[in-house]
Amino acid sequence: MMQVAKPEQFDLDRLAEQLGKLPDAPLAMPVQELETAPHASGLLAALRPRFARLRKAGH
Amino acid sequence: MGAKAAPDRRVYVTRTLTLTASLLAAGLGFIVFLQFGASDGFDSFDVLRAVLIFASTFWLAWGAFTALLGLTSRPPAVPRDPGPIRAMTAILVPVYNEDPVATFARIAAMDATLRATGFGDRFHFAILSDTRNDEVAARERIWFLRLLADTHGEGRIFYRRRTQNKGRKAGNIEDFIKRAGAAYQYAIILDADSLMEGATMVEMVRRMQAAPDLGLLQTLPTIIRAKSRFGRTMQFAGAFYSPIFARGLAMMQGRTGPFWGHNAIVRVDAFAQSCGLPELSGRPPFGGHILSHDYVEAALLARAGWTVRVDDDLAGSHEEAPENIIDHAKRDRRWCQGNLQHSRLIFAPGLKGWSRFVFVQGILAYIAPVFWLAFLAASIAAPLFAPPIDYFPIEYWPFPVIPVSQVSKALLLALGVGGLLFLPKMLILLDAALRRRVRGFGGTIRALQSTLTELLFSSITAPIFLMFQTRSVLQVLRGADGGWPAQTRGDGTLSFRDAWAASHWIVTTGAIVLAFAQALSPQLVPWLLPVTLPMVLAPALISWSSRPSRTTLFTIPTEQQPPAIMTLHDRILARWEADLPHRAAA
Repeated sequence: MMQVAKPEQFDLDRLAEQLGKLPDAPLAMPVQELETAPHASGLLAALRPRFARLRKAGH
Repeated sequence: MGAKAAPDRRVYVTRTLTLTASLLAAGLGFIVFLQFGASDGFDSFDVLRAVLIFASTFWLAWGAFTALLGLTSRPPAVPRDPGPIRAMTAILVPVYNEDPVATFARIAAMDATLRATGFGDRFHFAILSDTRNDEVAARERIWFLRLLADTHGEGRIFYRRRTQNKGRKAGNIEDFIKRAGAAYQYAIILDADSLMEGATMVEMVRRMQAAPDLGLLQTLPTIIRAKSRFGRTMQFAGAFYSPIFARGLAMMQGRTGPFWGHNAIVRVDAFAQSCGLPELSGRPPFGGHILSHDYVEAALLARAGWTVRVDDDLAGSHEEAPENIIDHAKRDRRWCQGNLQHSRLIFAPGLKGWSRFVFVQGILAYIAPVFWLAFLAASIAAPLFAPPIDYFPIEYWPFPVIPVSQVSKALLLALGVGGLLFLPKMLILLDAALRRRVRGFGGTIRALQSTLTELLFSSITAPIFLMFQTRSVLQVLRGADGGWPAQTRGDGTLSFRDAWAASHWIVTTGAIVLAFAQALSPQLVPWLLPVTLPMVLAPALISWSSRPSRTTLFTIPTEQQPPAIMTLHDRILARWEADLPHRAAA
């Protein structure tokens, strides 16, 4: 496995950062309005039972 | 702002006809079931079940009529600019804890095919890393340098890693546009496992150049490199059926087409002006970042007057897919949460009617299985609530009146549902045979065998997917956030033990359903077996279907004759992997 702490690794990181730098050409991307009212719940959100909340789920 | 396009009358007529036909089919199912249910006395359970049949049948009929549309239409001619490529295009490759060797080898292959077109200098690649694992990130930097050295890509291929994953993939793209978007007219958005021919990318730019109101052009990616039984079945279904369904959808979408998140090109200034996504109020799963951002971005582009189009005739666009049912279910869990979150956006201001309908469709795709399950549960429980049969309904009449059997109605309904499920696929087979499309699938006999086996396999595994989807919907409704797990790629073989760990709850549920049915409605047991048996056998089916496929069934064109870019990718990957021990020791 790669040793991240090796000095030559830092050189490679710096080189990758330097060569990989994106063109400096900023473009504005304004945030769009999607919600009609703050905290408005969706149709399905309204069906949610409030008594049981889980943090995470997965398989 | 995009040019305001005139409404297309043909699109509206097509939508109206398809919607009406689907509603009629659902209405017929509703009436037939009511007649069947009322045979032993009419009660509220009959109405509930009939409503569930209506919703489920509508969804099935919608899919079937979409396929019929696809079969009866041809792709319209689209304008293309045959002249020189004037614009600069960025090819965006977002990565998230992916294997850099495989991913960057794809970039090297795509770069080579682009340079072969003579327009290589008009395209730049940007690897947009959201990788959280530092070791993987260190390997990304090493292999990025290798990619640059092999392709002489300095100044054409860029690499940037974000320190924070704000907005996940949509935020990753947004970050690129905010930093470097003004340098490009177009951006081709890929996934880490996307592979696209240079000629296809050039053609996409030509079509964008020829249509100034076109904001986004989506290709129909074909699945490649599937190795497992499950993977190859999905790969066959994707190659054989999907083009027809996609064309049917395209006929209805008109200028409000889809975005599936990758293998598509966007006009950068249109995307920047229209697609800055807000964070929704409240907590996940319904609040927070917009998970299924692609549907929303397509809707926002359409809202701003831009055309969003899918061109299903564009070949040379590929992707990879999960190799087993569990990985498929994990991805589906994420999509389920994203689609249900769209319930927050159905009434967003200014959206086109079709965009709202697409949100509803996406929600229905996950809710429909819950309707089927609710229908089964209601059917099992119905005898508990049914009124006793009255054999002497006529006053003073001394002889009993035996109710007329309505089994024929149940059979009619089952046949109708089966027809909606299977007929479109059989018609696609017939169409492929008549148009000689079957040649790429091993000929007519092989395509017939593959289609029948796929129908059998999808019927057997449907109850397992039904259970996973139902669980996903219930988890989301309970407020559980699925997080952002990295995609599992690669071999995907699952042992029985792994399959059991992921699906033992399906086995238990299937056994309980059978036991309840036996106790409450024994006459229902034979009808339930096609659903409950696969549930009880779920771990065996999941493990078996994850193993390598050795059959000649499910042959697809890219297996018979791999495209040049796949061969090139294989060669580069083999060369790089041969260097792996040396590099890992570095």
